[in-house]
Amino acid sequence: MPSLRELQSGVMRALLDGEPDGAVPLIAARGIAAKHRLDVYANNARANFIESLISSYPAVRRLVGEDYFRQCARGFHARHPSLSGDLQFAGAGFAGYLSELHGDDEFRYLSEVARLEWLVEELLLAADHGPLDLAKLQQVPARGYDDLRFCLHPSARLFASKYPCVAIWEANVGSDAEPELIDLGGGPDRVLLVRSRGRLNCHRLSCAEERFLRSVQAGEPFAAAVEHGAARNEGDTDADGATCAFDAGAALQRFVLAGAIVDFR
Amino acid sequence: MMDNGAHSDSRAATGDPMPAHAGIGPPAGIEPMAGIEPSAGLGARAGIGLRAQHHLRVLSDAPAVAWFEAHTENYFADGGAHVEALARIRANYPLSLHGVGLSLGSTDPIDTQHLKRIRRAVNRFEPALLSEHLSWSSVGGRFANDLLPLPYTEEALRHVSERIAQAQDFLGRRMLIENVSSYLEFECSRMPEWEFLGAVAAESGCGILLDLNNIYVAARNFGFDAQRYLDAVDPSAVQEIHLAGHSAVEFEGQELLIDTHGTPVCDAVWNLYRAALRRFGDVPTLIEWDTDIPALEVLAAEAAKADALRAEVHALAA
Repeated sequence: MPSLRELQSGVMRALLDGEPDGAVPLIAARGIAAKHRLDVYANNARANFIESLISSYPAVRRLVGEDYFRQCARGFHARHPSLSGDLQFAGAGFAGYLSELHGDDEFRYLSEVARLEWLVEELLLAADHGPLDLAKLQQVPARGYDDLRFCLHPSARLFASKYPCVAIWEANVGSDAEPELIDLGGGPDRVLLVRSRGRLNCHRLSCAEERFLRSVQAGEPFAAAVEHGAARNEGDTDADGATCAFDAGAALQRFVLAGAIVDFR
Repeated sequence: MMDNGAHSDSRAATGDPMPAHAGIGPPAGIEPMAGIEPSAGLGARAGIGLRAQHHLRVLSDAPAVAWFEAHTENYFADGGAHVEALARIRANYPLSLHGVGLSLGSTDPIDTQHLKRIRRAVNRFEPALLSEHLSWSSVGGRFANDLLPLPYTEEALRHVSERIAQAQDFLGRRMLIENVSSYLEFECSRMPEWEFLGAVAAESGCGILLDLNNIYVAARNFGFDAQRYLDAVDPSAVQEIHLAGHSAVEFEGQELLIDTHGTPVCDAVWNLYRAALRRFGDVPTLIEWDTDIPALEVLAAEAAKADALRAEVHALAA
């Protein structure tokens, strides 16, 4: 008699690796071949996994169509099966898989759109947090600001890509209308995504604001974040071609009002 | 996230409280370990499985549903719309939490992260009942995310009973364990499923969530009498009943029933429910529907059918 461990390992190889030889002799056939019985479970496992990906990546699915999406999802499942009893996490890493498939061809933007969709997924599941306590901030003397470490809302995510992925994403979620044609050369995207009062908000960023927020996100003090924001890197230009000027006070106000900066320490 | 459409205002809960459903007050926090009958918090009427697409309807219309059962893992998130919606629904309805991912029968070490998330959900939502499955879904760190049957052996019995006891100790409360549908039997099994289920309840101290559709599916798939299963289960252990629909597939001319939870409860399962009511009495009953999920009214009609059957059986008994 096989041990429980041996039995489970054999069955899992049948379900996830398509290798039923170890499991088949363990199963009573009773009119239906053991292989078919195992296939019922293998199909369930794959279908549940793919459903999770469909839920996480609506824009990628719409962009590539149902058949090709399922083909990619099956390939991803075979290489990266679920490692958790909570299928919510099954889609982590799908962007990397799409990048392996389409890193250099005309669909190279797909993995970027997938990366954006995964950030949205994380954002929707992140902890809640109220807005910044302005009275508490007003108690900080002006000279103390430099040392403050501002905290972002738990849902805040920064996204930057070479392609106009936010426009591609927006055109492919929430509406059944035929999406407009989007020029892949439409410039890079740089956005802050944050959930505020239950809604997903997307704020376009200048390159200076992005550097500032990345510094805040890394837990650096305000003075350092301002320094990063003001630093002019070679070739930094925004979508409209303007250079990235940085106004620290205006940036702080903007991100507090956006519900992105919610605390400090 | 399973339902991206539900972007509710996270602050609304502190503003306008929903009207409580007539006749159903929020249940007191029930601690089965303290010896109180845990099913009491759900009352006698049938409840329905809560799925994300019904959150907004339930919150806006406060439909006359006796209680809801939610899949625990769907509310594992740190925050956001689903967690917020369930908290608001819980303020107006009794609730049961039903897990699908703990993999209690697995020979891997028990997933303490998963247990911690269950504990957080229990603390957040204070369910009257907490349940999981008599199954396994992972080994070697890889998950099939499906409810796989165990071999009915002494080794599996000891193993899964210890794991259930371990989970109950961690969570500080009793769990109900549900019999699963199965499409295969292991050659090494040494006892029928009903004997295994009863022994697991006795050894681990868990209660039993008896899924009558799963019994029916297994009875048809493996050729035993479903009534024999019911007759073997200790009435004092059964604290919840599930009713659901199934589908059939064919392999080489032989039919195999599949537990799809995507159709109405069939007549044969309603008959089994009559027999269960006679044997187990007033046990909270749940209508489950997980694929091709219909409108709330369809689910409520199935629950009303269960209520009518219960009234009929009890009137006959009296």
